[in-house]
Amino acid sequence: MTAETSTDQFDPRSKLVLVMCISSLAVLLQDAVMMTAVLACGWLAAIAFGVDVAGILLRLRKLLYLFAAMAVIQSIFTPGGEVLVSLGGVSLVTSVGLDRGVTIILRVLIIVISAGIVTTASSRDVVQGLYQWGIPYEIAFMVALAIRFLPLLRQEAEDVLTAVQLRGLKLDEVPLGQRLQIYSYLLMPMVSSVLGKSQKLAIAVEMRAFRAHDQRTSYRSLQMHGGDYAVMGAAVAATAVFLLAAWRIGRI
Amino acid sequence: MIELVDVSFSYDGSQQVVRGVDLHLTCGGITALVGPNGSGKTTVGKLAAGILKPGSGRVEIGGRSADGMSLAEIGSEVGYLFQQPQRQLFAPTAREELSFLLRVQRVDEDEIRRRADAMLKQFDLQHLQDSFPFVLSRGEKQRLALAAVLMNRPQFLILDEPTTALDVKRKAELSKLLMRLHDEGVGMLIISHDSRFVGDLAERVVQLRGGEITDDCRNQHRSV
Repeated sequence: MTAETSTDQFDPRSKLVLVMCISSLAVLLQDAVMMTAVLACGWLAAIAFGVDVAGILLRLRKLLYLFAAMAVIQSIFTPGGEVLVSLGGVSLVTSVGLDRGVTIILRVLIIVISAGIVTTASSRDVVQGLYQWGIPYEIAFMVALAIRFLPLLRQEAEDVLTAVQLRGLKLDEVPLGQRLQIYSYLLMPMVSSVLGKSQKLAIAVEMRAFRAHDQRTSYRSLQMHGGDYAVMGAAVAATAVFLLAAWRIGRI
Repeated sequence: MIELVDVSFSYDGSQQVVRGVDLHLTCGGITALVGPNGSGKTTVGKLAAGILKPGSGRVEIGGRSADGMSLAEIGSEVGYLFQQPQRQLFAPTAREELSFLLRVQRVDEDEIRRRADAMLKQFDLQHLQDSFPFVLSRGEKQRLALAAVLMNRPQFLILDEPTTALDVKRKAELSKLLMRLHDEGVGMLIISHDSRFVGDLAERVVQLRGGEITDDCRNQHRSV
């Protein structure tokens, strides 16, 4: 038997509540400063739960161009505020557009980093935790599988990016339009591979007589402890504070 | 062409998967890398292609340290066929798979069409040129992936289990094609379990066991 690490001591449900709070804030907030604060909180929480945040950011670096393109497109097509860049009298980048672009990048970062927290829980425990909360076993199992597939998707993305570069493509030197087309191509092998894996998994578990019946019983039972309630309480309280502050300044 | 000097590698930082490997691969020669499962064959292949960076030792490609080369630079000299061909197929049709990267590199459109036609014919993929690559059979994907690698005209090829999913007829055709490339001066490292296939083709056989080279000899039984 292996020793439990300090982060394993937390019930997966407390991690799920924390991630739900952080990702809800990422979707609801509109203010870049407040979102930066949420990102900082999510970052600290991820480190506390043993997530390799530096590794996640290093991998996201490869998608930097995509983020930058999203920010620029938002910035160009969202008029309003002070004109920051103009060409021949046509405003290209405005302060409101830039703010919108930055919030999109922050939103993606918050969701990706906070999602890392859930991956520190075993998928078996996530199913058990959700089931004990009264969520139908079938749905709990689907959620756990989705979490299980996150690292696989990441590995696929890395392999595909390596493969395309090994065919002599200097991504840095490709014009933005073509680069976006290449990224859209890269999604194909990733999605195809994950669909293939999930199909094989479904066949494998069914061949072993697995069925997602609601009347399943389990020898293992999860128990919430003081630390779990503290994490959930702090997450809900901080979310309420952020939402209240955003509501008061009219940025929600 | 490719030189590995005292190369060691570990995925997790503790267990050495490759230990002190010295390997000199020349342009024009066909070398087979054989060994049991888990002996480190694919890892050596990826180290030779610059996909993995060695923990210690050095890898040189075309006289330059692989450390200082981008994957794109390596890819313009060395073609790599992955064990899972679907990982290197991206485009919506087989023809586009062969063409799109050359188009990005601004190669002349007529030249792209000419090269793609030749590859489709060579690999018997003409009838599948408008097919979605992901619905092809494993063998067809394998052929398309190899054709796409060859579109770049690499000087050296690293083929990881190229005969998996190929029937006897396709194996014979692949063997013939590789011999033709060999005659054109393309060097090759073939990683394979298929002892008959590599036995027929390779001039040199390198045996890997437990991450170390245990044998490196000329193939006396080469028949092609």
